[in-house]
Amino acid sequence: MGGGGFTMQERSPALDQLVLTLTAKAVPRICFLPTASGDPREQVTRFHERFGEWPCEPSTLSLFHLGRDRIDPIEHLLTQDAIYVGGGSMRNMLAIWREHGIDDAMRVAWQSGTVLAGLSAGAMCWFAGGVSMSGGSPEAVAGLGLLDGSLSVHLGGERRRMPVYRSAVASGVLPAGYALDDGAALVYEGTRLAQSVASHPGARAVHVRRRRAGGTDEREVSLKLLPGARARGGSRLGRESSAVSELRELRAGRHRWD
Amino acid sequence: MEWGNTLMDDHVLALSGVERPRVCFLPTASGDADHYVVRFYRAFPASRCEPSHVSLFRRETGVGDVRTHLLSQDLIYVGGGSLVSLLGTWRAHGIDLALREAWQAGVVLCGGSAGSLCWFEQAVSAFHEGPPRRIEGLGLLPWTNTVHYNEEPGRRAAFLEAIGDGAPPGFGVGDAAALHFIGTDLFDVICSRPGARATHVCVDQRGSVSECELEVRYLGASALGDEAAIAA
Repeated sequence: MGGGGFTMQERSPALDQLVLTLTAKAVPRICFLPTASGDPREQVTRFHERFGEWPCEPSTLSLFHLGRDRIDPIEHLLTQDAIYVGGGSMRNMLAIWREHGIDDAMRVAWQSGTVLAGLSAGAMCWFAGGVSMSGGSPEAVAGLGLLDGSLSVHLGGERRRMPVYRSAVASGVLPAGYALDDGAALVYEGTRLAQSVASHPGARAVHVRRRRAGGTDEREVSLKLLPGARARGGSRLGRESSAVSELRELRAGRHRWD
Repeated sequence: MEWGNTLMDDHVLALSGVERPRVCFLPTASGDADHYVVRFYRAFPASRCEPSHVSLFRRETGVGDVRTHLLSQDLIYVGGGSLVSLLGTWRAHGIDLALREAWQAGVVLCGGSAGSLCWFEQAVSAFHEGPPRRIEGLGLLPWTNTVHYNEEPGRRAAFLEAIGDGAPPGFGVGDAAALHFIGTDLFDVICSRPGARATHVCVDQRGSVSECELEVRYLGASALGDEAAIAA
């Protein structure tokens, strides 16, 4: 997903629902990892709010709270039908995953048929690379490389990202790939692109590849509107200012770290 | 940043030797939890110092060049949380190297829990990482460290085992106690609550692991005085 879903408070539940549908299980086990934003409690709450209403076994894996939760992270991941990765700092997320051996566990889970999903950093991580704001300004960052291509996200929402993506593909720093809007998503079966979908009309996906003569060739990808898709008009997606989000998190409660 | 007790915060501010020190908080080990950042700004208000913080999860906002910012500080305060996640994130941003530079340049480095363990060559970590385990820290101090030594069950046993297994000699530190190093040498052992403990652990000449309780200096006026103050 280029963005959207419950962490971004998208009103349409279509993308989140799709993750469950793809498992083809009646009551799938789904685990949410908010590593890339530092495991904020607010995202965990939103995850349970949304997935708690559906027939599934939702759980969260917080690598910052392994003591509190008493979970063996790798064992837990390997018993899931779907793993849903949140957005945030891709660089931090991958560094923390490596420390805990989660990178290898993701590959094993993928090979054994677990649906791997996510938005933003949680989407780019499956590819050879993406464009991340982890360092402050947008830059090309390597992913886990389960999928050969590259991915850039928040196409319409963050104007600074696309030019960096374009030049990274043009110079060969990143392989060819896709730039996705919030609400646009690609579904891969193995390494083959199987579906291109959207949770609201107007979401875009653009394929970007290097042109031999220099620069890039770009083409729009047509997206299939998902059942339950809604127009963005009344959506809270991207509307909430960061100050409001911060206050919301503050009010969510206190936690001792030392 | 102890609730209702500023003795340790007062002490680290004084160590900077500057009247209004520049103090930077690194809340990385908590995943940059907002409430922890707020707590820092309450404990280190602008009336006493020049406080700032660096969020490595939201670098698109805040301080641009983190290394330069850290090197311009008088005091760097590292918050608690997950040591493993802290070290991984720091390495991904080159903060490990920047902190070594800052240390060599004379910036006072301090912190509690994971913010203490990180400075040592080895740490025996527990709570936030699950069962106790040995973790390689930044290695500025060539010793082994563990925290909550007298409080968390299993900590002490795991620490003694680590030292017996060849980890460098080191320090088991209880809650409210702190070690003060100058360079790599232990200079002072202090506490913000009377009765806090710190223990030096090494392998003695006969090859067995030995514990030696350190004398801990209370930062308050006197034990009696402090009790009176609390009562008031």
